[in-house]
Parts: sequence; C-alpha cells; structure tokens
Amino acid sequence: MPDFLDRAHDLPKLGLGISTEYGARRRDGALDPAALRRREPSYAGFLEVGVELAKGLDDDALAWAAAGLPTTYHFLDINLDEPEDFDDAWLAQMGEAVATLRPAWLCGDAGLWHFGARDRGHMLLLPPVLVDESVAPMAEGIRRLRDYTGLEVLPENPPGSAFVGELHLLEFFAKLAEAGDTGLVLDCAHLAMFQRSRGLPPLTAFDGFPWERVIELHIAGGREGQVDGLGWVEDDHGVDVLEDTWTITQAAIERAVNLRAVVVECERNPLDAVLPIFAAARERLPVAFTSAAATSPSTPAQARR
Amino acid sequence: MSPTDRQTLDPQRVQQALVCMLFDPSYEARIRGEEAVAEIAAAERELLRKLDPRALRTDPMRRPRAVQAILEEYPVSAALLGVPTVDAYFASTHFREAVFKRGSMALAFADYLGDRARGVGRIEAAMARVRRPRDAVRSGIGCGPRVAPLIVPRGSLAWYQEGRARLGADPLQALAEQSRPWRRRPPRGGAEHLLVEGGEDGSIAIGGASEALVRLLLAAVDPGPKSALIDAACRLGAEPAEAEELLGDLLGDSLLMIYR
Repeated sequence: MPDFLDRAHDLPKLGLGISTEYGARRRDGALDPAALRRREPSYAGFLEVGVELAKGLDDDALAWAAAGLPTTYHFLDINLDEPEDFDDAWLAQMGEAVATLRPAWLCGDAGLWHFGARDRGHMLLLPPVLVDESVAPMAEGIRRLRDYTGLEVLPENPPGSAFVGELHLLEFFAKLAEAGDTGLVLDCAHLAMFQRSRGLPPLTAFDGFPWERVIELHIAGGREGQVDGLGWVEDDHGVDVLEDTWTITQAAIERAVNLRAVVVECERNPLDAVLPIFAAARERLPVAFTSAAATSPSTPAQARR
Repeated sequence: MSPTDRQTLDPQRVQQALVCMLFDPSYEARIRGEEAVAEIAAAERELLRKLDPRALRTDPMRRPRAVQAILEEYPVSAALLGVPTVDAYFASTHFREAVFKRGSMALAFADYLGDRARGVGRIEAAMARVRRPRDAVRSGIGCGPRVAPLIVPRGSLAWYQEGRARLGADPLQALAEQSRPWRRRPPRGGAEHLLVEGGEDGSIAIGGASEALVRLLLAAVDPGPKSALIDAACRLGAEPAEAEELLGDLLGDSLLMIYR
C-alpha cells in the first residue's frame, strides 16, 4: 500500500461542513443541517456524523446520506488502543453504519471513550496518556480499523482538562500519525485547551508538526471556567469561539497543505447564531476551498473491504 | 509480578487509575499519599501525582450522572439502602475492579450490593444481567444469553413489584425526595423460583417457574456438555428419555442455547 501522503491525494475535498450526533436537534431551535445547506450551501458542504453505535443514526443523518450528500464518520465509542473493543458485534454494526453513510473517511478523538466494557453509563472522553508507550497500541487500532473498512482513519486530538504525561499533544499526534501511517484531524479548540492547561502560547510546538498530514480541522466554541483559581475551557460547542482557537485555526490553515475539510462544531445552536462562525471560518480559507466543495457531487472513497 | 513491581509503563492502567481518581476523591488521595497502591506501578503513579488536583474537579456532575445510571437499574434496592449507599459504591473496590478489569459498573454493583437488599437486589441484578447478554466463554449447552434463573426468598417478586409501584412513574424523582431508606424489609425466609427473561427490544419479563426448571437452568449458567445437563435433569427427577426431550423443549423455547 502506498504511504499516507500518497494516498492523501485521492481524498476528496469536502470544504466547509458541519457536525451532528444522535439527537442533536432535539434541543429547541438547534441547528438543522439541511436548513443550513439550503441557506448557505458553502457552509454545509458535508456532514460529519458523530456515531455512537448503541444509539445509531438519527433522521438528520439518514436523510443527509439518503440525499447522496458527502459525509464523514466520527466515531464516539471506540478506544483505539483496546483490542477487546473491536468485537465482532461492534465491527458489524459499524460496517452497516459506514455502508449507510458512505463517508469520505473515518475520524474521531483518539482517547478513552468509555471505561470498563462498552456499557450504559460508561461513556466519557479522556485524552490519551501522553507518553511514548501509548503510541503503538493506538496506531495498531487505527490500522485495524482502516483494514476493516477500507477507509482512512484519522485520529483527532481530544479535549481535556487533565492531561497526563510529558509529551506535548502535537508531539504525541505526530508520533501517532507516523506509527499509524495516517493523517490527522486537528481540533483547534481542543488544542487551545491543551495549550492553556500547560500554560503555553497557542502556537507552541507548531514547528516540526507534520502539517502535511492534517486533512481536517475542527473549530468550536468553548466556555471558560474556573476551579479554585484554575482556569479551564469546557468544550461546549457553543457560539463563543476563543481567540486562541482562531489563532490556531489561522496558523493551521496556512500550514496544512493537504487540508480537505473544515468542520464548525455547533450542532446544538440556532442557525442564525452560528452563521457568524461559518463566515469567520470562510474568511480564513482560500476562496476555492469552499466554492469548489459546495458544488461538487458526493465523492465517497471506495471501500476496499 | 504485581503491577507495583513492574518497570514498564502501561498507559491503559494509568488511564484506569485516572478514571477512578475522577470518580473518587478518596482514591485520588491514596494515589497522592504514601500508602502502597497495588494496582499500578510506581512510574504510573508518579505520572498521576503530577496532575493538578483542581484539573480533576472540572466536571462535578460526573459522579452524580453515574449514580443516576445505577439508580435507573436498581431503584428498589436504592430505596431500601438509601442513595448515599449507592453513591458510596463509586469509592468501592467493586467499582475499581469494573474499571481495571473491563467490567460493567451495573453488574459490579450487584457484587457491591451482596445480600443487603435480599431477593429484591438479586431480582434487579438479574434484570441488569439480561440487559447485557454476554458472549459464552465455553462451547456447549447453556442458558440463553438473556435468561437469568433465580432462587430468592419467598414473596420477593411481589415485594419488588410493590416497591417499584411505590416509586411511581418517576423513580429517580422519588429517590431524590426520599429522606431516609425504607424501614420495611423484603422477605428473608422460604424460597421462590423465578425466571428473568430479556427481550431484544429491551423488555424484561419476570415470572415464577418450577423449582426443577430453575435448578436445571442454574446448572446451565455456564455452558457445558449435553451429558452434564442430562445428568443434572436426572438428579432433579427426570427419567433419561424425559431429560433428553426436556432439553430439546428448552432449546426450542430459547431458555437453553447451543454455544459453539
């Protein structure tokens, strides 16, 4: 198999898109992905569907897929470094969801999605332990998922307030991408949280990061909080995007030469409230990035399985 | 070799300990203290001790959410013992075992409960089990994955049903408003034989069954050879030819299943 940077040339350009997960629109006034696409097609070039297989796919995701519109599959329930998590039932269900959505690729936070077995009440999201020993098992999980689906599997830097281990988050994900022979999703809001938690400027460790592997960016609002004087940021996907997040986004766009997709994560907010975030994202992107994607047909990658 | 003696660093174990710290301040204090902690190595513990304690307190609802998940499955037991006893589960070795050994917190709660809620606790534990059909670890004939045979004190099912009705349509609300545990205790004498059966749609049926059937199914909780079950049926009073026929019927009813 050619290495990732060769394979990356075949990944479709999806442009600017939106995220959803099961039941996201149950909140009154929450964003309707189809309405956003009707209102401003270039803001909704694709739908990133967050999937916890125990919940399944909701009507919004199914309708989007049925219309043949582009998607990506964001897993919400697999601990990549736990071989036991790749059980037959989960793989079969995941295969069905992939067949329904026909995503351009799979992605998701490379962290701890659940403790113990995958079970009711066990779900959470913790970042990986930032040590060299964490890299190989997680890379193995990425390869396994890629082999099973025939799709690229792009790990994402998770959010967190408690980061264990000495490595910088970007250093860890650089090692993971290399070991897994894969690309990356950089969540700019999550990275801003990490930098703050370590007391670092937003662009720390940008030099030396393999930007050519960054295929997708995430932009999201965050809520600043304090615990006994410790400042931290809640990843609330609200409409207030931190200045640090925009600083990281801008710098990432300038460096990520293979960028294919940018997601604004704002699924539980009213349409009018999120339009300014999309506008601010589009302003930072090359004109061709959004205009080409808005008019391109669905181009899901061909599964090899 | 125990984890504390190991030189290698296992990130999964670090994360498991971190989960326990997030749920349980007393466990966090142990990690930060001087007392030995058997389940993690020194290097792993050192990583965790470097964490700012405040960074573990950014989600004050984490433990209440988990308590709620247990209350949803064990409402009558919780009413008997009180919500603080349920909350204390998250500081127990049973909870930590579930975290460290890839278990289920709802099933491990049954071990924590022990016999404190008597037959009622065992009925709710059986309901939790049939919601989580497990994969058989051995081949042979065994209980269906959504079948739990039970022997409880006589009158436990009626007591459970009354207790459940007493909690009303919103048991969580009722438990939140409960000022102290129920004084009336479930029965403790005699025996009642029950079958708890889960449906694919999440429904659960509980009903009485003959002692012989329940004991036969208890003998089949772990799958084994057909001959062992025929022997068990004969010990329970069946003739060999009847035993063979009985097993066929139970397989047909999905109370037993062949695991390959």
